[in-house]
This record gives sequence, C-alpha cells and structure tokens, in this order.
Amino acid sequence: MKKNFFTGKLTFESLPDHWYTIGGTVFIILVGLIVAFILTKKKRWKWLWKKWLTSTDPKRIGTMYMIFAGLMFFRGMLDAGMIWLQQSLAADSQGYLSSDHFQQIFTSHGDIMVFFVTMGFFFGLMNWIIPLQIGARDLAFPFLNSLGLWLTVSGGVLLNLFFVIGGQFANTGWLAITPLSELEFNPGVRVDYLIWSLQLSGLGSLLAGINFLVTIIKKRAPGMTLMKMPLFVWTSLCAMVLIISAFPVLTATTLLLWLDRVLEMHFFTAGFGGNQMMYINLIWMWGHPEVYILVLPAFGMFSEIVATFSKNQISGYVSMVWAAIMITVLSYLVWLHHFFTMGAGANVNSFFGIVTMFIAIPSGVQVFNWILTMFKGRVQFQSPMYWFVGFLILFMFGGMAGVFMASPPADFQVHNSLFLVAHFHTMIVGVALFGIFAGTTYWFPKIMGFRLDEKLGKRAFWLWFVGYFVSFIPLYILGFMGATRRLDHYASSTHWQPLFIISTIGFVIIACGCFTQVMQLIISYKKRKEFSDQTGDPWDGRTLEWMTTSPPPFYNFAVIPNVSTREAFWEMKQKKLPPSKSYQEFELPKNTGMGIYISVFAFFAGFALVWHIPWLALLGALGALTCVIIRSFDKHTEYMLTAEEIERVESSRGQG
Amino acid sequence: MKKSHFTVILLTLVAATLGIFFALRSEHALLVHPKGEIARRELHLMATNVLLMLSIIVPTLILLFLVVWKQVTKRHDDKKGSPNTRHPIFREGILWIIPLIVVLVMGVITWFAAHKLDPYRPLQSKRTPLHIQVVALDWKWLFIYPQQGIATLNFIEIPENIPVRFSLSADGSPMNSFWIPQLSGQIYAMSGMITTLHIMANEQGEYTGRAAEINGAGFADMTFAVKVTSESDFMDWINSVKSSPHELTGTVYSELIKPSMKNQITFYSSVKKDLFEQMVEKYLKPSS
Repeated sequence: MKKNFFTGKLTFESLPDHWYTIGGTVFIILVGLIVAFILTKKKRWKWLWKKWLTSTDPKRIGTMYMIFAGLMFFRGMLDAGMIWLQQSLAADSQGYLSSDHFQQIFTSHGDIMVFFVTMGFFFGLMNWIIPLQIGARDLAFPFLNSLGLWLTVSGGVLLNLFFVIGGQFANTGWLAITPLSELEFNPGVRVDYLIWSLQLSGLGSLLAGINFLVTIIKKRAPGMTLMKMPLFVWTSLCAMVLIISAFPVLTATTLLLWLDRVLEMHFFTAGFGGNQMMYINLIWMWGHPEVYILVLPAFGMFSEIVATFSKNQISGYVSMVWAAIMITVLSYLVWLHHFFTMGAGANVNSFFGIVTMFIAIPSGVQVFNWILTMFKGRVQFQSPMYWFVGFLILFMFGGMAGVFMASPPADFQVHNSLFLVAHFHTMIVGVALFGIFAGTTYWFPKIMGFRLDEKLGKRAFWLWFVGYFVSFIPLYILGFMGATRRLDHYASSTHWQPLFIISTIGFVIIACGCFTQVMQLIISYKKRKEFSDQTGDPWDGRTLEWMTTSPPPFYNFAVIPNVSTREAFWEMKQKKLPPSKSYQEFELPKNTGMGIYISVFAFFAGFALVWHIPWLALLGALGALTCVIIRSFDKHTEYMLTAEEIERVESSRGQG
Repeated sequence: MKKSHFTVILLTLVAATLGIFFALRSEHALLVHPKGEIARRELHLMATNVLLMLSIIVPTLILLFLVVWKQVTKRHDDKKGSPNTRHPIFREGILWIIPLIVVLVMGVITWFAAHKLDPYRPLQSKRTPLHIQVVALDWKWLFIYPQQGIATLNFIEIPENIPVRFSLSADGSPMNSFWIPQLSGQIYAMSGMITTLHIMANEQGEYTGRAAEINGAGFADMTFAVKVTSESDFMDWINSVKSSPHELTGTVYSELIKPSMKNQITFYSSVKKDLFEQMVEKYLKPSS
C-alpha cells in the first residue's frame, strides 16, 4: 500500500462504502447531532463539562463508566444477534454475511464485551462502592481515575471508529492470534485498529488497577484491618493484583505484534525465526488472569448480596478470603490449558490440566459457603437474590464444563468447538453479567436515591435465565456434534441447523430481557418518588456504604467512621451508635480536564499509529506527555472543605 | 420467591438435561459415536470425568434447592438469623476437603490419561503404522503417503484396525487445527513445525474432518473426507491412485499453495521427493 506523508495509508477509499459502515456512520452522526442539539437547547454544555466530564469524584466517574459500558453492551449485543442470525441461516448457503464480514463481527463482539462492557461495568461499580465500603472519601489518585476512564473511552471510540474510517475490523478472533494477524495474512489496518484500541483501554485498565489497589491498601477507615474488609473489597483487591501483573503482558505482546506489522520484524511470524506459538503463550498469560479479573469482583458482589438478603454474616469469611487468593494465584498457572492441542508433551499438558482442576476447590468452597449463608439465615427473595440463585446454578454448570475441558485428552475433542464457546459464555453471562445485574440492582438505590422496579427486575431475570438455557444448551450439544466455533456456514448434512435456530430463539428471549431492563430503568425513574430511599439503608445492609445517605454527599463521609468488626455498619445499628458530628476540615480533589486532554492526544496518537501517520503520532505522544508534565507541576489540585461548610451541607441534606 | 418460581427453575433444568440427553443419543452427535480407538478412549475419559463431577454437583444442587425451598416456605418468626460468630474450623475443613478429594481423584486420572492419550504416543499394535504427512494449505488439506508415494487433496483413505501416524505441518497458511471428531481429538498444524498424531479407525465408513482454528476467509470450507475401508480395498485404492493422471511436482505444488477455496478432491500418482521435509525446512531458513 502506498503511503502519503500527511495522510499515511488514509485515502478516499477508506471512507464508508458498505451498507453497514454507511449505516453505522450515519447512525453515529445522527445520535451525536441529537445529543448536541439537546445539550445546546437546554444550555447544559457547561454543566456537562464542569460537573461530569472533568469530575474526579469516583461516584461520577463510576456513573460515566457504567453509561459507557451500557452503550457498548448495546453494540456487543447487536454483534451477537448478527452472529446468531448468520449461523441459523447459513446451512448450505452463505447466509446474509460474507465470511470476512462474519469474522469481523465475532472479533469485535469479543473485544467489546470483554474490554468495554464487563470491565467497564465492574470499574463503574467499584468506583462507586469501594470507597464507600472502606470508609474513604475518594480514591488514592483521583486524577488517575479520571485519566483511566477517558483512556478506556478513547480505546472504545477508536475501536468503533473503523465504521467511519477504514470500514473493516480485524478478522482474527478477539485475541488477534498469530500468524493470522501478521502482515502476511492481514496487510491492511484492521488488526492495527484492534491493537491500538486494546493498547489505550489496556493502559486505562492498568491505571485503574493501580489506583484501586493503592486505595484499598492505604485508604481504609481506621480499625478496618485487611481481615475486616467486606468481601467485595477483597475480591476486587485480588482482581486488581491480577490487572497490575497481567495487563503489562498484554501491552507488551500486542506492541511486539505491531512491531512485526509495521517494521516487519519477526517476533511471531511463521518463518524467518519468528515464533508463532510464543504469541499464543503470551496472550494467554494475560488472557487467563483476565478471565478471573472478570469473575472475581462478581464473586465478591454475590457474597455481599447473599449476606444482606439472608440477614446473616457470610459463612466462612476466612475461607472465602483464602479462596479468592487461591484463585488469584492459580489463575497464573493455567494459561496453557487454552492450547493443549498445540502438541506440548503429556507432562506439560497434565501439569496445566491438573492445576486448572485445582481451581475447582476454592470455587467449590465458595459455593458451599454461599449456600450455608442462606441456610442459616432468613432469606428475603428480592430480585438480586434471583440473580444470585441463577448464578449459583449456572456457575456449577459452567464450572463443570470447565473442569471437563481441563483434562487434556477431553480438551482435544472439544477445543475450539462450540462446547468451549458455550462454556465461557456460561461463565461470563452466568457469573460476570449476572453479578453486574445483581450488583447494579443492589446498589442502585445508593447510587440514584431510588430503587429499581422489583417486578420488572424479576421479569428480566426470568427472561435472561430461560434465554440462557435456550441459547447455550444447544451450543454445548453442537460442540458434541463436531461444530467448531467461528463457522460462517456449514453443510446441512451436519444437522446443526435446528440447534442453531433454537439457539437464536434463546438470543431473542435474552434480548427481551435486555429490553425489560431498559424499561425497568425508565419506569423506575418515572416512579422515583414512590421508590425513593430516604433512609440510605434500603436493604437493612451490613457494610459501610449503607451508612451514608442515598445518594451519598460528594465527600461520602462527613466523619470517617471507626471500624471494629467485619460488618461495621451492622454493628453500629445493633449498638445504636449515633453518627459522630464532630466535623473536621478535609481536602478534596479539584476537577480537572487533564484526563480528557491526555486521552484525546493519546487517541490521536493511536489513530495515527493505525494509519501510519508519523507526524500525527508524534504530535499526539508529545501532546499527551506535555499534559502529563503540566499536570505534575500543578500544586493546587485539592481544595479544603472547612468544618462550617460540612456542617452547612450536612444540615441542608436533612441530617443536621 | 414464590413456589411457582421454584418450579420454573426445576423445569428449566429438567428440560435442559433431557434435551442434552436425547440430542446426544442422535447419531449426529459425533463425539458420542466414535469410530476410532482414540476417540473411543477419549469419550470414555469424558464420561468418567462427568460422573465424578456429577457426584459432587448433583448433591450440591439438591442442597441448594432444599435450602431455597426451606427459605421460601419457612415462616420467619424469629427476629434474626443465627449469626455465625464463631468459625468452626472443622466445618470449614470439610468444605475444603470434599472438592479436594474429587479433584485429586480426577488429577490422578488426568495424569495417566494425558500420557496414555498423548497424540505423540504410538499405538500398540502388531502392524506397522501407516504414515501420512499432512500439510495445511490456504484453505485445503494436502495429504502425502510417503510409503506409497502418492498424495491426495482434501481426502484420506485409511484401512481399519491399522494404526495411522500423521505428521502435520502447514505451508502458507496460519495456525491450523486438524480434527476428525469421530476418530480422534485435535492437534495443531503450524508452519516450520511438525506435530504428530496417532489414530486407529475401528469401523468402516465415511467421516468428515475439518479445520478447527480460525485461519481466514476459506475457514468454513476447509473440510476433508475420511474414508475407512478394509485393508484389501485400501490396497486397491492405492493402485487406482497410482494410475491417476495428476502428479505432485514442484511446479504443481507451488501452484497449490496459493490461496484457494472449495478445492475438489484430487489424487496425485506421484510426489516430488522429500516435498514435506523441504516444505518444513523452508521456514527454518533465515531471511534472504
């Protein structure tokens, strides 16, 4: 491809020319125009910038993470629907998508759902809940928090930009496996889009990971020792340790792949001394911990939920903590189970297989303790508990499929089959997504000040639960019928089509579930007076976040509570300790637009690197660096809130 | 949670179990109907593992249902649940030991199974194995029978009850996975490397093999036919291939490695000497 100095590989041919890219572009522009129109009409631009975009308040950042993840979820579900539709049509025919287009769709589906949806929702909830649960006013590094959010968003925008410029996304599967993602097989810029959107969002995740780790270690309320932390904080801590140690591997690996692609190096090429297997090893050294980054926070959320709604302490707290730690450690030692079929010897394969099976032990302990918590308690079946029971069933089921595949000879038969696809979707849907839905319902009154509609919440659960079985049980069976994943068409003599159609019906049921959840949001908002939470403690909670009002004041706690037991707030309620009113001044971070500026520069650098525009890449990198330097000389990043002001805010909030 | 909700969950689970059960009885569930030694033993291992896991999952599920049922039906007269203020080490110990035992049993089974079913391990048989070299090309499979001096495209014929040794590699095609579900599990075929797979077919018939690792536009069509025949039929077939007009010369091969899809089955009566070895070595040379 010829390169122009000013525009790199960009030409007029890069503009949209397919129905879906033109459609996507028009859609993006229209939505942008509508939003801009509303903002202008209501004169809200300044409000948006000052109150939200530049905010360093973790609560606002958390909300923005969740809105972004929600938008991306819509996008990922569209991809999912297109995949299902194609596969149920394409027996003995090409279906309605070309092979290449189909491959792009499952690639972007995977990347979006993992990097932006699941991780986005988790970071959103963590931003909201972790400071509240540990009795802190803020994260350790408020500015990094803002920067992490905006880097993640710029990664997401860069990924979706392929609709507008370029028109093609990688066709390599979400991990861009070599040598398919190498220059030899993929000369265009499509893989570079994948690489740089993962680089940006990966950097964002890394910053967020460091931030939460330091926050949990350093900013706990006095008296809250490590073994008195709520379990959600514990599992998040474990997930952050995984992020900090695993994400640099992703950054390095994809960077090496990019060097292969742009400087024609030979790290992972098929010939010339390259080692294609090395890439698969490296990417899964990040990829397997990543799986646990997605499920560990959900484990913690469910622990909180089951304790609250059972009116009982979590059973076996110490075991639960060690189970989470054991999962964290083991998750580093199992990456090879993703490719037993590569032909490593039996010793290597059985080592990794057996270590994988060991993960079932802490998982089993957790399941037993969750059930025991309910057994000894007094359970109120609110909708978060529905998600919880559904999660337990799916977790056992999916876990069984996982251990099944941990045996190398069994894996030889189901590797890369739809059985595998069904297994990890059971885990991501049943554990991560159900956890997100349960956690969002549970903490929604804390976040918004009103509860979500229970009836619609339960209805959404049923649609998801039944929809899950209808859509994924056929995939398990298809795996046993010899169906590999990622097939854009197949012969009807395989008799796969009926199962693909059933599976698609399941997707429609799930989509109805999503629709119900959107309706739930809208209707709950309309009835917000009726559902409003005046007490700050709608579920009779046990941990510190329920001590504050709903929603909490911008400084979370006027007075940092003293903690003496694991369930600090429960203890206070039992002993009827009145909240302290001896206010003392404290510092809070100022808002800053630097996170956005740096991310915009980084975005342009990423875009330039995708399209091979050196001057723009340099400009972006220099711009981002300059912003970092300017920010580092800013000594007035905090402001003081005096005792009188706190008193005024507290009394105006009806708590004086 | 109402009692009716409980029924919905149970019904869903029962329907799913029945669905899986009946679907797997169908002859199209290839993995459950193995036609070769390796696939049969792999199925056996799978079944053992599933039973072992069910031995712990089923009681846990029943426990879950009992607890939920008890909580749904019980009247909450008492004001509080009974908080576990103490931590009975004994109870927690049991919770760790139960899964540990199951995993240890499975671990031992896995160790031995992984060694016995190692694709590199030759099968025990009095007969010398038939050797077939497999080359994954974009997007077709080339099979070379070095002992017979013939080659085929997208088709293999093998005799029943005689072990077969595959040596696999790839040329001009990214990472590939070679899979004949009814005969054995997968193994990767990669450029510059030779992997090995031993199989033995037990039943005559025609089976499908496919590529199981995404490798570009022609991925879905990269299937091949596997015909298992009697030994005498196999000899006849070899002879018929030897009279085929096509020959796999260097020129023909360099045409063949260009990407193409949906290639017809082709038989080559002769093969350029050491084609497979030279093809692999090509990737080991430094850049010129």
